[in-house]
Amino acid sequence: MTTTTRIDHEALFAVLSSLADNKQAIGRRYAYWCNGAPALEAAVAAAAMTQDELGHARTLYPLLEDFTQADPVQVEPMTRTLHYHLATLDEDFVGWCDFVAANFLVDTALTTFFEAAQDSSYEPLRQRARKVVQEERLHQVHGEGWVRRLARTGGAVRKTLIASLTRFWDETLCWFGPSDDATLQRLFREKIINANPDELRSRYLQKIMPVLQSLDIEMPVAFNAGSQRWDTTQPLPWTRWDTTSRRLE
Amino acid sequence: MKKTTTDRRGALNETQVWQVYARRKYEEPLYEIGNVMADDVELAGVYARSIYDEFSWIEMVLVPRASMVTVITS
Repeated sequence: MTTTTRIDHEALFAVLSSLADNKQAIGRRYAYWCNGAPALEAAVAAAAMTQDELGHARTLYPLLEDFTQADPVQVEPMTRTLHYHLATLDEDFVGWCDFVAANFLVDTALTTFFEAAQDSSYEPLRQRARKVVQEERLHQVHGEGWVRRLARTGGAVRKTLIASLTRFWDETLCWFGPSDDATLQRLFREKIINANPDELRSRYLQKIMPVLQSLDIEMPVAFNAGSQRWDTTQPLPWTRWDTTSRRLE
Repeated sequence: MKKTTTDRRGALNETQVWQVYARRKYEEPLYEIGNVMADDVELAGVYARSIYDEFSWIEMVLVPRASMVTVITS
């Protein structure tokens, strides 16, 4: 007979739940566009990215079973009633610009977290993080390529893209949590990830802002020459942010 | 005049064709496996990798069709 010691770690359980739910939600939203993309090539890429996202979710959900916090109903995506994905992923994408904005902003934010977990002290996350980061490289190129393409098309296309980016902006930045977020701070202290919430947000902005800046797309952030970091120039909506579900209410 | 949805989609039509070459073994030469349309080389790479994923290629390259020179034609 084998016995398995279950892990009692509320913070890790919460973040894994959020990662799995966000991956699952992104995959489902991407799937809708496998036959609706502007070109056949983009549709095939959307299908491939859908498979990747749902695959990432499928490797994360089983980890939840190892925790004392796990309710058996809530560890299976088919029976799970809790949805800890971003509220902006609750609804279907209105158009291709929403797909591109989610790909460029939300998917990249999750990848920033996985990058910080590649040397995690929690082995199951470390193994998965390396694979996810590897697969996400193509997603990032796809997101950046389409942001450039839509922005340079100009007119209504560019306006729609900016509206989509704005819709995802606040909640994506909030996902890393406030500076004193107890959940991610604990993961940082225990070397499960190698950055605190502010550092993760900064790394994330460092990835996305050069692309947006090169296209003259203004977002509420400014580059601080002293610290060589991007800082938000308007407060994030923390009063609407739920610490358990890591989403805006 | 107001632009229609069709006009906007038309503005997104890709115009550049990229020939896709790949090989599975080091001792094999690169051979043409198809083509993709994309106005951005980075996106062309993403498309080629997603569409022609039937094998574990050891090498895949893209050649812009516009750079190909016809020497013999019938």
